[in-house]
Amino acid sequence: MGAGAEEEKLARLRLNFFACHRSDWLLRLMAVYGGAAELLKRPKAELCAESGVMPETIERLAVQTAAADPEAELRRAELAGVSVFTVLDEGYPELLKTIYDPPLVLYVRGELKPLPAAAIVGTRKATAYGLRTAARLAGELAGAGAAVASGLARGIDTAAHQAAVDAGGVTWAALGTGLNVIYPAENKRLAERIVEKGGALISEFPLDSWPAPANFPRRNRVVSGLSLATVVVEGGFESGALITARFALEQGREVLAVPGPLDSPVSRGPNFYIKNGAYLAENGEDIIACFPPERMFGLKPSAARRERAPSAPALSGLSPDALDAYKAIAAEADGLNADELTLKLAWPVQRAAAALFELEITSLLLSRNGRYCRAV
Amino acid sequence: MLSKLRTLCLKGIDGREVSAEVYIASGLPAYTVVGLPDAAVKEAKDRVVAAVRNSGFDFPAKRITVNLAPAEIKKAGTHFDLPIALGVIAAAGGLGKEPPARLGETFFIGELALDGALRPVAGVLPMLLALKGVGRTAVVPAGNSAEAAVSGVECLAASSLKDVAAWVAGTGELGPCQGAPAAAAQVQARDLSEVKGQAFAKRALEIAAAGFHNIILVGPPGAGKSMLAKRFGALLPPMTFDETLETTKLYSVTGLCAAGRLVSERPFREPHHTISDAALIGGGSSPRPGEVSLAHNGVLFLDEFPEFSRPAIEALREPLEACKVTVSRVKESVAYPARFLLVAAMNPCPCGYLGHPTRECSCTPIQVHKYRAKVSGPILDRIDLQVQLSAVKYADWEALPRGESTATVAARVLRAKELQRRRFGGAKANAFMAGAELRRHCALPDGASAVLETAMNRLGFSARSLDKILKISRTIADLEGAPAISREHLVEAVQYRMLDKAALAAV
Repeated sequence: MGAGAEEEKLARLRLNFFACHRSDWLLRLMAVYGGAAELLKRPKAELCAESGVMPETIERLAVQTAAADPEAELRRAELAGVSVFTVLDEGYPELLKTIYDPPLVLYVRGELKPLPAAAIVGTRKATAYGLRTAARLAGELAGAGAAVASGLARGIDTAAHQAAVDAGGVTWAALGTGLNVIYPAENKRLAERIVEKGGALISEFPLDSWPAPANFPRRNRVVSGLSLATVVVEGGFESGALITARFALEQGREVLAVPGPLDSPVSRGPNFYIKNGAYLAENGEDIIACFPPERMFGLKPSAARRERAPSAPALSGLSPDALDAYKAIAAEADGLNADELTLKLAWPVQRAAAALFELEITSLLLSRNGRYCRAV
Repeated sequence: MLSKLRTLCLKGIDGREVSAEVYIASGLPAYTVVGLPDAAVKEAKDRVVAAVRNSGFDFPAKRITVNLAPAEIKKAGTHFDLPIALGVIAAAGGLGKEPPARLGETFFIGELALDGALRPVAGVLPMLLALKGVGRTAVVPAGNSAEAAVSGVECLAASSLKDVAAWVAGTGELGPCQGAPAAAAQVQARDLSEVKGQAFAKRALEIAAAGFHNIILVGPPGAGKSMLAKRFGALLPPMTFDETLETTKLYSVTGLCAAGRLVSERPFREPHHTISDAALIGGGSSPRPGEVSLAHNGVLFLDEFPEFSRPAIEALREPLEACKVTVSRVKESVAYPARFLLVAAMNPCPCGYLGHPTRECSCTPIQVHKYRAKVSGPILDRIDLQVQLSAVKYADWEALPRGESTATVAARVLRAKELQRRRFGGAKANAFMAGAELRRHCALPDGASAVLETAMNRLGFSARSLDKILKISRTIADLEGAPAISREHLVEAVQYRMLDKAALAAV
């Protein structure tokens, strides 16, 4: 890399310290001046006139970029094992370059393998059905050899990453924070496992950025931008998952949705998309079928097809009571709570308690807020 | 002239003998009370003057000194009116040249009306209980007659100062105190069978009643938490006479002893969540029992538990641990018994709809975490049973079975209680087992340690909650009449520790 290229990279890193809601006008200015290094040398008045943004914004830009120390940031990234890419660097994902406003800088921990990826996104307040479905789709994609992209948020995102990691596959988490700050904190362990399994943590924000609310919609365009297709599992109309889906459409990518019950508030988003022509995602194959043909090579969708029901051996170890309880629970779409189980089977509390205990320690049931649902 | 009389006062919920001395000297008319009186005792002067004169006696316009001894006990209440008035009459020579023997031998209690009538006062029962075995007679207002009769001390009921004076002088008679007619057996207005569904919560309440375990009910609005809690008291075994007396003493001190009856039903107290810590625990510049003590031997129901102020929740630690509260003030420090069964109720999250089948919860995970954290820690450690209630859909609700009646469940509870009485040889319950006792009475059956190990490893239970599971298992075994804990008992007990389950944390 020549001295000029090195200078340009540092300038872009410096420019990236400016926190803004949208960066398209910066990219346009860079195009005008032929790079970030040149842009930063221009007087404020000229930038203001050229871009048409408010003088206050340019003032903020000047202050924030002047305060930044890109060399130190690069050193700290190296120490933390984080690679830093700009669009000019080899290793910046090709697919992401094609979106409207690609991130100026991409911080990556782990490895961004050149795999075809699909995004699995959804609400943080998922139902058991949503979690189960996200996990199955992610597991099938990972098993087929595709990468699973998502945002490391609670709920659907976590279920998708988790399932991909459990299947031994590659998953990419685009964060709304800097890579030194994992949010939510309870996903730190998951983040480590993602990197261990050959996946990557990705962020466009400087290493120590806190989870500012404005970061998350920006993060969503990276999730969809890294992916050939975006699957909306669950999400109400205000959900961030729908923002991701909209980005995917703007970026010319496929959008799929998982149908849900009509009366479930978190299925309104995906059902709306299906009504308006999105593909219906029933399994991993459906998702991979949306990839451009040249990106399907090497993927083995059918091999990863997951069983819809637990395997016979998993059930054969159960006592007759536990098996009855499992069947009763599995038959209900949104599961049962302990009371409903006693009513459905007309069992005394003691009998239901014993059966539930036996089931709880297997992996057959998910227990959330007192409701039990089948886990597979 | 000097006269000496006997009366009583309260220290905490115990009576103390007090000697009232009245001295009339010549000099400028004045009236002084010494011996650490509070405002109500000082006010007695105006009532005493009017009552003495309206009863046909002379109130001398001289220098009057009233001394209440021993001087180090704070004297509170209006019941010193009667002894002071009698003392003044006697010292002024209204009862003859030499004071009659009855004056110095009898204990007098009562508040005076301006016309000389006697009014009932608070705390008669605990005061009289201090006279048990002393062999003296006490004179109390007729309005406290029923309460006084319970004490087992020889008591006379009087309705006016004039009557008392006549009795002291030997010219009149006073009738003995009559016990109140036993309260008609209360028709059980609320029955457990009225609460439909909620089988697990009902079972948990049965266990709580049998082993005196504290319990927390977690469920969305409308799930029936309050309904269940209000039907809970009737599940507890009837009070023993000693328990009745203890609880009545506390009610008497607080002036809540309605119609002088004994508190023979287990108390059920449900303070609102805006209650101050002093009102909950007991306090005031002259201390009085708080809600925890009024719930002594009964139920303290705290609805919307996390909404109680932090100091109020924290203040529950002492009574939950030691079964009593010590109220310390500058002038005195008193201990009130407070052995209550805590029934707490809370929503699963601030909005209440987390995990609701049809409604969406609007809380962020952080809000849920903060809400739950309010009851975590030391208080939760003292609550053995944690049960989840769920909303019942209307369609289901219609078809729900009614379940067992209060009487059926109470019979099982009584049997379990009897087993515990034999085990501990007293009123002690399973919930109060600790250390060596726990190990002695809760020996694990073969193969059951695997259950506990699983609970810890798979369900994320702490070592501390394992002790609770053992205690609950013991009570479940008692309800069945089983001498030893079995695996089934343990497995059921695990279901009543829902807040411990790591899986519950919002994904």
